[in-house]
Amino acid sequence: MTPDLVPAVDAAGLPGPVWLFQVLLVFTFFLHLLFVNITLGGSLLAWVAHLRSGGSASDPRGALAARLTAVNGYGISLTITTGVAPLLFIQTLYQQYFYSGTILVGGLWFGLLVLLLVGYYTAYLYKFRGAPAVGRGGGLWIGVSALSFLAIATIHVVVHLVHVQPAQWAAFEADPWVVLADPTFVPRLLHFVLAGLGFAAVIMVWWSVRAVERGADRQLEGAIARFGWTWALWTTVLQVVDGFVLLFVLPQPVLSGLMKGGAVTMVPLTLAILGAVGLLVMMARVSDPLAAKGTVTGTLGAMVLVIGVMTVTRHQIRVLYLAPTTDLGAFTVASQWLNIGLFVLLLVAALATVYLMVKRVLASPATGADAA
Amino acid sequence: MQYPIWDVTIGGGMLMAIVAITHVIVAHFAIGGGLVIAVSETLSVRRGDRDLRDLAKRSSLMLILVSTVFGAISGVGIWVVAGLISPGAISDLIHTYVWGWAIEWTFFVVEIVAALVYYTTWGKISKGAHLMVGWIYFVAAYLSLVVINGIITFMLTPGRWLETGQFWDGFFNPTYWPSLLLRTGLCAMMATAFMMFAVQRAAADARPRLIRYLGWWMVGGALVSYAGYRWWEASLPESVLALFRGDAPLLESLAATRSLTLWALAAALVLAAVLFVAVPRAGRTATAIVVAIAAFAFFGGYERLREGVRKPFLIHSHMFSNGLKVADIETVNAEGMVAHSGWVAARAGDGAIGIGEQIFRTQCASCHTLDGYQGIRSALPTVADMLAVADADTAAAAFAAECAACHRDDFTADDVGGMLPSVDDIRADPEMIRDLNHGMITATLARLRDLGDFYVDADRTTMIPTHEADIPYMPPFVGTDEDLEALASYLASLDAPPGAPGDRVAELGGER
Repeated sequence: MTPDLVPAVDAAGLPGPVWLFQVLLVFTFFLHLLFVNITLGGSLLAWVAHLRSGGSASDPRGALAARLTAVNGYGISLTITTGVAPLLFIQTLYQQYFYSGTILVGGLWFGLLVLLLVGYYTAYLYKFRGAPAVGRGGGLWIGVSALSFLAIATIHVVVHLVHVQPAQWAAFEADPWVVLADPTFVPRLLHFVLAGLGFAAVIMVWWSVRAVERGADRQLEGAIARFGWTWALWTTVLQVVDGFVLLFVLPQPVLSGLMKGGAVTMVPLTLAILGAVGLLVMMARVSDPLAAKGTVTGTLGAMVLVIGVMTVTRHQIRVLYLAPTTDLGAFTVASQWLNIGLFVLLLVAALATVYLMVKRVLASPATGADAA
Repeated sequence: MQYPIWDVTIGGGMLMAIVAITHVIVAHFAIGGGLVIAVSETLSVRRGDRDLRDLAKRSSLMLILVSTVFGAISGVGIWVVAGLISPGAISDLIHTYVWGWAIEWTFFVVEIVAALVYYTTWGKISKGAHLMVGWIYFVAAYLSLVVINGIITFMLTPGRWLETGQFWDGFFNPTYWPSLLLRTGLCAMMATAFMMFAVQRAAADARPRLIRYLGWWMVGGALVSYAGYRWWEASLPESVLALFRGDAPLLESLAATRSLTLWALAAALVLAAVLFVAVPRAGRTATAIVVAIAAFAFFGGYERLREGVRKPFLIHSHMFSNGLKVADIETVNAEGMVAHSGWVAARAGDGAIGIGEQIFRTQCASCHTLDGYQGIRSALPTVADMLAVADADTAAAAFAAECAACHRDDFTADDVGGMLPSVDDIRADPEMIRDLNHGMITATLARLRDLGDFYVDADRTTMIPTHEADIPYMPPFVGTDEDLEALASYLASLDAPPGAPGDRVAELGGER
């Protein structure tokens, strides 16, 4: 008889209803993904742009690399910050799978920390010692940074695939590398990377459009916008293809569950597919992004929405993978409503504080002796 | 105890100590730095003091590079390592305190955004707006400490939570306030330790004044920390104090750690008072490094002590350091490890030694490695050790070195010598130590299983008086007779076959 390797549900119980943790897990992971896309796609795009510029900050692509790195100074911090919450909630709901999965690839999972440090500090080295600061060079720094974040994305895909397939745990323990042979591995990783490249590219185009409105150099911004738009368009083309590949290489029970799940699963999936195709149509119609402010803004907004519904579908796929061994109803629920209320109150207060702080900062420009 | 095991060469506990201690040093700098920077900028604006303003600005870059990068990543690192080495414990903690961590996260969001805004808006926004951002940063950072302090202290002194299971009973536990005071002082100390390097780049004529200014922060922080430490120690129950205080502490290493911790604090205080406050011209990079080392030694020592005095628990009186819950002792003893854990059952095909190895990884590996930190193999006696105990001339010293750690209360050197074969018999048949080892291991494991009865019988609505236990700093062994024999067989098998590397008989050298 094959032993049951799935640990028992934690006897400590859930301090809140299952649905609440699911909502929080999906919502906070969605927020996290937005910054992941900026960090992963931004660093890869910055590396490509830097190489295409010949390592010179005076080339528009060099300026784009510098801009993406400046954004990543915030982006990486916020990626880590927003990543804490879904990490917390997945441990609450799926601790027996998540911990087992990470332990089975423990070296890789721990290596993620080292890669984060390397990726973050090399991004700063590029910013302070590379082309953005001294005009030329630094390709090695931004290259190492981009590859570090790519490796982190790969580790996340590995952990995801391991934790949702307890039937394979014995095989993973014997040889963790067999996860690379999973048919969904490559398309899933590509899904991450292409989303990051496309999103970061559109953000940069949107930035250029706004910069021109504020009087920036139209020629420079136009070159950056065209470069970004081309990347956004082609990565989205590939994303649509990859998305269908990923869908059809899912294990049969998962695919079947997704298709037969009724409105709950089909509405988000359909919206995601329609959204992606709609994005393609919108982007293909634009040849000069600076002259199509509305379409650029609409593309960015639509991309955020597509990421949102894809996050829901991703969660549903996890649920379907784990369905044979999971019963979330097995948890003893003892909701801590006072603490839940306190959390919601403080979350609102935190977001309001950030909003009011940024608003005050933006309304308080100063120079010379008046400045801080 | 139902999870797979991640093998770490240096030991999971040691890895956690490295990640956690580096994180807390940086994290406390992030909080204390926020306070000192905000106060410095406020004073600079009020007094028109350009030097203080420059100190705050330089320090804010350090805050970004050290705290929001390394601090944030190492903070995630604690989650990562805890999940890898103690999944059962972290799961239990999360299911109790998830809303505490979620609340801390809301402060963390504000803290990180404020830090980034603060650093990038120097010279670009009004002084008032910039000051506001700095103070928001500090308040958010300190509130995150206010929250996490409740969860950390809960693990050592769960207080009334043991009786009620209520979130706030565990949060505001007996060491909450002392620990908060201690950590508040530590924040100021860590801030000064880091900022003393930023001040070295100030103009030469301004440097002594700024060094004295920071010196006062260090002195104040050290005094507050000392008060907090004393209060913390006074709040600990007798069972915890018995591990490291008194004439005969149960764990000498922890008593030594306490001594080191307090001497390091005294050194930091005196050195800061002399080198920074009294003679600020002596406050150079080299002296700043010395004071920083003393401050870090104090902090690291305290953290080591706090973790160590929790032995044998991760959550005192509730969950042992290997993830075994006190409430599960009887269940596992009755059903056995094979039935309790799929990962142990998976080794059934490997025979008793295979099962024993998995039981070792499940029950022992959280504290013991094979050959590294607290290595178990080196605890197996060699023939030379046996000969030394059996020989009347060397018995007393050998007993003290090899046996007393476990048997000082139940045997004398003469007793053990009397139980062993004679020196001549051992010399004639050194292979016999394999059977002797197996027998001693089995007896020790049986004693550890009996230890479980102490915890089963204890009143679990209050902190268990561990100092009254047979072995106060180890979790009990749990499992059936078959499990016990399997583990004993595995441990005995660590004495490699004759002639192979690790053969304890071969280590006899010329005696064989």
